Amino acid sequence: MSDKIVISPTSRQEGHAELVMEIDDEGIVTKGRYFSITPVRGLEKMVTGKAPETAPVLCQRICGVCPVPHTMASVEAMDDSLDIEIPKAAALLRELTIASSNLNSHAIHHFLVAPDFVPEDLFKTAVDSVGTIRKNAQYVVDMVAGEGIHPSDIRIGGMARNLSELARKKLYTRLKALVPVVDNHVELMTNLILEKDIPEGLGAITAPVFASDVIYGKREFFDLDRFTEIVPELWYDDPEIGKRACTTVPLYDGLNVETGPRARLDKFQGYKEKGVVAQHLARAREMKTYLSRAIAILDELDTAANTLADFDPRGTNKLGIGVVEAPRGTDIHMAQVKDGKTAFYSALVPTTWNIPTMGPATEGFHHEWGPHVIRAYDPCLSCATHVMVVDDEDGSVVKNEMVRI
Amino acid sequence: MAFGTYKEVVSARATDKAIQKVAQDGGIVSALLCYALEENIIEGAIVAGDTEDAWKPEPTIAMTPEEIIAAAGTKYTFSPNAIRLKEAVRQYGLEKIGTVGTPCQIMGLRKMQSYPFATRFVADKLALIIGIFCMENFPRDSLKTFVEGKMNSSLENVNKMDIGKGKFWITDPEKESGLALKETHGYEQAGCNICLDYVAELADVSTGSVGSPDGWSTVFTRTDNGADIFTAAVEAGVIETKPMDDVKPGLELLEKLANGKKDKGRKEIERRVNMGLPSPF
Repeated sequence: MSDKIVISPTSRQEGHAELVMEIDDEGIVTKGRYFSITPVRGLEKMVTGKAPETAPVLCQRICGVCPVPHTMASVEAMDDSLDIEIPKAAALLRELTIASSNLNSHAIHHFLVAPDFVPEDLFKTAVDSVGTIRKNAQYVVDMVAGEGIHPSDIRIGGMARNLSELARKKLYTRLKALVPVVDNHVELMTNLILEKDIPEGLGAITAPVFASDVIYGKREFFDLDRFTEIVPELWYDDPEIGKRACTTVPLYDGLNVETGPRARLDKFQGYKEKGVVAQHLARAREMKTYLSRAIAILDELDTAANTLADFDPRGTNKLGIGVVEAPRGTDIHMAQVKDGKTAFYSALVPTTWNIPTMGPATEGFHHEWGPHVIRAYDPCLSCATHVMVVDDEDGSVVKNEMVRI
Repeated sequence: MAFGTYKEVVSARATDKAIQKVAQDGGIVSALLCYALEENIIEGAIVAGDTEDAWKPEPTIAMTPEEIIAAAGTKYTFSPNAIRLKEAVRQYGLEKIGTVGTPCQIMGLRKMQSYPFATRFVADKLALIIGIFCMENFPRDSLKTFVEGKMNSSLENVNKMDIGKGKFWITDPEKESGLALKETHGYEQAGCNICLDYVAELADVSTGSVGSPDGWSTVFTRTDNGADIFTAAVEAGVIETKPMDDVKPGLELLEKLANGKKDKGRKEIERRVNMGLPSPF
C-alpha cells in the first residue's frame, strides 16, 4: 500500500510551494515532487522595450529577499550586452555588496531554521547574533549600494559613487568588530546542526553541482549551449502537478542540478559532504568567507578611484550574460540591448535550478524529514516563478492554469 | 506668535576673526557648525558651497572646518542641501550631520523626519539643523536679471549681496549699490509669496541679521538639542552674546517683519484659494 503526503504551502521559506511525497507502509518517501505555486510576476516582459537602465530597477523588485543579487545580475547582463568594462574600484564595490548582502541573507536563514536546531535556552543567543550580523551587513549594503533593500547605486557601467575615506574606515572597523560575532555564531550553529539527530545521508543526491565562483560570480561559467529549459508537464510524471507547477525546469547538460552554498564549496573548495547537514554547514561556513572577503576589499579599496565607466547605451543586440552567486545559488540574467532598448530579457534564478532537485532529495527517508530537506536548500520562490505559455500566433495565454495558485 | 516656539533669543557673533571676516553677519552658522564638528557633535555638514559660476551655490558635504568656512556668506539663490543628505549618510558614512537652510527647506527636513518615506535611516541622522531668516529667495536667473538690468553690474563682479534697510545691496569692486526691494518684487520664487515662516520656526537654532546691529546676528534656540549646542558653543567662547534688550534695533523690528510676512502670505493664500488654486497651508 502506498500513500501520499502533501505539504502545501511548505513553511519557513519565501514564497509558496508544495511538497508532494508518495510513501510506503513505513512512511518512507518513495517519490518526492516539489514545485512552485507562487503566481507569475512577468518582470522579464515588463522590462522589454524599455531603456536598459530600467531593467536593474525593476528586476531588483522581483523579490524582497534577494534585491541585491538581482540588481547585480541585471547590471552585469547589461554591461555584457553593451560591452562595458567596469572600473576596478566598481568591481570591488560590487563584490563587497554581494559579500555583505549574502552574509545578511544567510543570517536570515539561520533565523528560519532556528526552530529545527536551536534549543530554547540558546534561542535568544542565536537570534541576537543573527540580528547583530544582519544589522552590520545591511549597513554595508546601505553605504556601498545606496540602499539596503532596493539599491539605487548599482548601475550599468559600475557603481554610482565611491565611498568616502571616512565611510571606508567606519565599515572596516565595524566589520572587524563583527568577526568574533560571526565566528561565535557559526560555531554555535555548526555544533547545533551536528548535534541534531538528522539521519545520515538525508538529502544526499547525485545531481551535479552548479556554481560559478566562490563569492561573486563569473559570467564565463555559463554556457548557453549547455542549457535547456522544459515545461513542467514534461518533467513531473504526475500530470496534475505538471499543470499546477509555476516554473519551467532548467537543465544543464540535460540534467537537473544543485546550486547554492554546498555546490559552491563542493566545486571550489573540495567540500564533498552531501545532504542536509552538509548544506547547513556549508552555508554557515560561507558566512565567514563573505565577512573576511568584505574586510579584505575595504582594506584594498581606493576611495579616490572612478567607479563608473562611460558607455554607449544604444547596444548592438549582443546577448549579455550576468552571473552572480546569490545566497541560494547561481543567479543568471540575460539581456539584449538594441537601439537603446531592451530587446530580450530572461532571468534564470537559483531556486528555479533547485526546484526539480529538491523533491527527489526527500526520497529514501521518512516523510517527516521532508520539510528539513526542503529548508536545507533555503528555497525562495518569488523570483523563481516565471512561466506563462503564450500562443505565438495570436499572443493569447494558452496555459493559464499554470499561472494560477 | 511671530517667532514660533523658542527657548531663548539673543544677539550673538562668532569670536573667531577668520569667520567674522567672511561671514554675512555674525557668523553664527559657520561658528556653530565648526564647533559641532570639532566637538564631534556632527561628523560633517551639508552647506551651500561655491561653484565656478558666480553666485550659483551647490550643496556641498563639508568634512572640515575649512570647508565649512569656505561656504560662509548668504547666497540669495537656492542651494537644495537636502538633495545630498542621502549621499552624506550613505557613501560618506556620516551618522551625525549638520545642515543649514531656509525656513521652507527646514520644513522639508522635518517632514522627512516625521514621514521618512525613502529616507529611512537617513533623516534621523540630522544632528543639527540651523535655519536662516528668509523673506524671499531668488532664482539665479532673477538675480542675474536685476543685477545686470537694474543695477548695472554683473554677477561675476559682485563680492557680496545683502538685504537690509529696505534695499537689496550688492558690493562690487567699484561701489556698493542698493536697489529698492519693491524693484525686486516679481523676481522671487513663486512659493515665497505664500510662505508664513520668516524665522525658520522648525530649526534647532535659527539666526539672521534682523534685530541685531551690524556684524551681529539674532539667534533663537528652539529645541533642547539646539539650545545645548548653542550654550556649549557660548561657554566654549566660540560665540559671544548680548541680551536682545541691549541691542538696536531689537526684537520689535524682527517681530514686525515676521508678522508682515505672515500677513502678506495669508493674503496671497486667500487670493489663490479664491481663484481655485491649491495651497499647501
